[in-house]
Amino acid sequence: MKSFKFILLLLLSSHTFSNSILLKGGMVHSGTGEQAKLQDILIDGDVITNIGNSLIIDANTKVIELNGSPVTPGLISPMSNIGIVEINALDITRDDESEILKAGFSIYGAFNPHSTGIPWNRSNGLTGSITSPSASYFPLFGLASYFVLDGNLNIKGKKDIAMFGRIGSSSGSRAETLSILESLLELGIQSTNMPLEEVLEMRMADQLELQAQDIAALARLVKSNLPLVLETNRAVDILQALELKKKYDLNLVLSSVEEAPFVIDQLKASNTPVIIDPMDNIPNSFDELGSSLELGKILDQAGIKVMFSTQRSHNYHLMRQGSGNAVAYGMSYESAIRGMTKTVAEIFNLDKRGSIEAGNYADIVVWDSDPLEPSSFPKLVLIEGREQDLSSRSSRLTERYTNKEDKPSSYKH
Amino acid sequence: MKNIAILSASLLLISSCSNEFEFDFSFGGSEPYDSNFKDAFVSTYKPMESRPILFKSANIYDGIGGELLNYDLLIVDGKIKEIGQVISRSDVEVIDASNKWVTPGIIDIHSHMGVYSAPGVRTSSDGNEATAPVTAEVWAEHSVWTQDPQFALALKGGVTTFHVLPGSANLFGGRGATFKNISQNTIQAMKFPNAPHSLKMACGENPKRVYGNRMQSPSTRMGNMAGYRSAWIDAADYKEGMSEKNPDQRPKRNLAMDTLMGVLDGEILIQNHCYRAEEMAMMIEMSKEFGYKITTFHHAVEAYKVADLLADEGICAAMWADWWGFKHEAYDMVQANIAIIDQARDGNGCAIVHSDDAVGIQHLNQEAAKAMAAGNRAGFNISKAHAMKWITSNPAKAAGILDQTGSIEIGKNADIVLWTGNPFSVYSRAQKVFIDGALAFDINNPKIQPVTDFDLGIINPTTTRVQ
Repeated sequence: MKSFKFILLLLLSSHTFSNSILLKGGMVHSGTGEQAKLQDILIDGDVITNIGNSLIIDANTKVIELNGSPVTPGLISPMSNIGIVEINALDITRDDESEILKAGFSIYGAFNPHSTGIPWNRSNGLTGSITSPSASYFPLFGLASYFVLDGNLNIKGKKDIAMFGRIGSSSGSRAETLSILESLLELGIQSTNMPLEEVLEMRMADQLELQAQDIAALARLVKSNLPLVLETNRAVDILQALELKKKYDLNLVLSSVEEAPFVIDQLKASNTPVIIDPMDNIPNSFDELGSSLELGKILDQAGIKVMFSTQRSHNYHLMRQGSGNAVAYGMSYESAIRGMTKTVAEIFNLDKRGSIEAGNYADIVVWDSDPLEPSSFPKLVLIEGREQDLSSRSSRLTERYTNKEDKPSSYKH
Repeated sequence: MKNIAILSASLLLISSCSNEFEFDFSFGGSEPYDSNFKDAFVSTYKPMESRPILFKSANIYDGIGGELLNYDLLIVDGKIKEIGQVISRSDVEVIDASNKWVTPGIIDIHSHMGVYSAPGVRTSSDGNEATAPVTAEVWAEHSVWTQDPQFALALKGGVTTFHVLPGSANLFGGRGATFKNISQNTIQAMKFPNAPHSLKMACGENPKRVYGNRMQSPSTRMGNMAGYRSAWIDAADYKEGMSEKNPDQRPKRNLAMDTLMGVLDGEILIQNHCYRAEEMAMMIEMSKEFGYKITTFHHAVEAYKVADLLADEGICAAMWADWWGFKHEAYDMVQANIAIIDQARDGNGCAIVHSDDAVGIQHLNQEAAKAMAAGNRAGFNISKAHAMKWITSNPAKAAGILDQTGSIEIGKNADIVLWTGNPFSVYSRAQKVFIDGALAFDINNPKIQPVTDFDLGIINPTTTRVQ
């Protein structure tokens, strides 16, 4: 077992404190899908300025020796509850659902930078999250936003960047759901030609009790290329979704897609990216009978863009274990890294995020060993060039309860 | 009538005497009361056909802390026959295990496979008899669907034995039972022979939420406690009544009381879902109040806060590597939980990694890897050989079957997994899985990959369900 030592050389100039960092000699996975390379990364302020070998630095640069440690871009979860749900079983701590708003329900205003899930996931290598509303009975749940997980009250991110929804089994008929979904898209189209009040008075809008926010969001879907993430599993439902994409020229992303292998050619031809939970091979419903641990491999080998989610609430960083399992079952390693990083940034238009490339924000994680091994852990997390504290409630409790001093635990801090 | 009167009178006289003389009142049907009904629903399991097999040059984790590099392992007649650096046998099938790893079959002490089967639809919901807070009368095994497609998936993850429990809606959820991971047509044929029953108990939020929402007791943690204690009082009373030599003087048979009495008699093992440290301490206190033992705390998210207590009491804790945040009582998670329990009192703790999940059960080796790494980051020095205990011999101990399986030791059941690489790596897969020496899963042979009835011809009538 190699030991990874950091040698921090802090060189201060006589006048100013340096904002420049050189991450030296790491095995860099850029997130672009390219093979990893032993490289240096030069960071100035909040951005990466240069990547390569034998980079020129000045006396003000803080050099951090990585001794071959793996380096990846900060991981980005494409769908999570981070910041809007504190404890699942306690409704009063949840801000992920709306009774009144539907397609236009934006969770942005509920994001809590002080949520305990943030330090925990950040210390595990997650630097960004697309936080989305939770599933509701309605086919469209609302709008997700992207957040930088630095815990700063001055929230950095991007508001209302995608809509989330679902087609599949329900207490009613999914044919009805599909029909309603089409009507909603039609309303979105009509809203660009009609005054809002008229749209809201239309029968379907009235029946479904749609609000102004809902109509505005629907318009963005059909006119402004707003990404639509639709959860769906059954093979034929995937085809239905692809039909909708074609008909309305949607910027479609499909999630879950457990029966994708049956329609792999159509998926590939439609150039639709997907979000999968590679560890979920359980036929949880009659829609998921085709679930398999080989899903990641099959999609990757077909050239489809794959991103990763996980079912484990509060542990969105476990998409790393998921992608590791996908690799164990045949997905390519760099596709797995890319799927947790650059692909997310690309698909959701997260400017300058998701990859270690010059000009991008320095959201970078240095790992103690292979990041796809569940036993590995970050040694260093940078968000926009700033080293993040890896403390969390979990680390504080660990310290307290491994402290053998003979006094009540409440005095161990 | 007259005879009974005479007999009763005799009994009264005898019982008022000293205890110097033991009288045997064996009038037909006066067997001592057996609450465990050892003849009821017994296992009819028969091992599949097996051949002797010699694993050559394997790297072995024996499940009891040992690491044997480049060793040979011989299994014959379903048992582990020999372990040695070089075993010479020319008359048996040889498996070249060089650069591969061999471990005991993985054991999950907390599963709801079969009682919360896939697909997870309303009619598959058979794990919680949530109609009263005390349902010690139900037996989880009676809810098992033998064709649950989840069994085969767990086998593929190296799980040869699993313990099925009722859920945690109730104070006393009912009996749990241990199963061999071979799907059969009857529950009895899947049951692990000579394995004790367990009794599922639950602390904390679940029972008080389920019944509190119905404006019934319990609706608080104190209500939970009173609920357990009242039941134990009834059970002690029943046990005393059942100890009457004259069956006519015994109380009417009661299934719930049978189960509780089985615990008091030390025959049924308590598996107690409990998250909070102080609740675990209270449950231990109560066990002393009524004279029984707690075998394992399950989930035990705060076990690390009372690790010494658990080690001192010889109680195991079955935990997740990192689940948290879904309930208030699961808020104080530490990744080093399993390690802290394991290392308590100089390494005398009993730590187990459990799943409570159909996905998790397939990757218990990975969960153990996370827990081990977290423990080592927290300052412990836990080897892979040692961590293997958490998913083999420790759960075997908690299930009361350590004498039969859970480790690679001579004489034990040949429940063995051959891995493609080190089992603690995400890239490793179970290549071959043996149960009682019979090959139950072979990654390279679709014919030796179980397909339950549900998997057969579904989606496409000419194929089996993709797994």
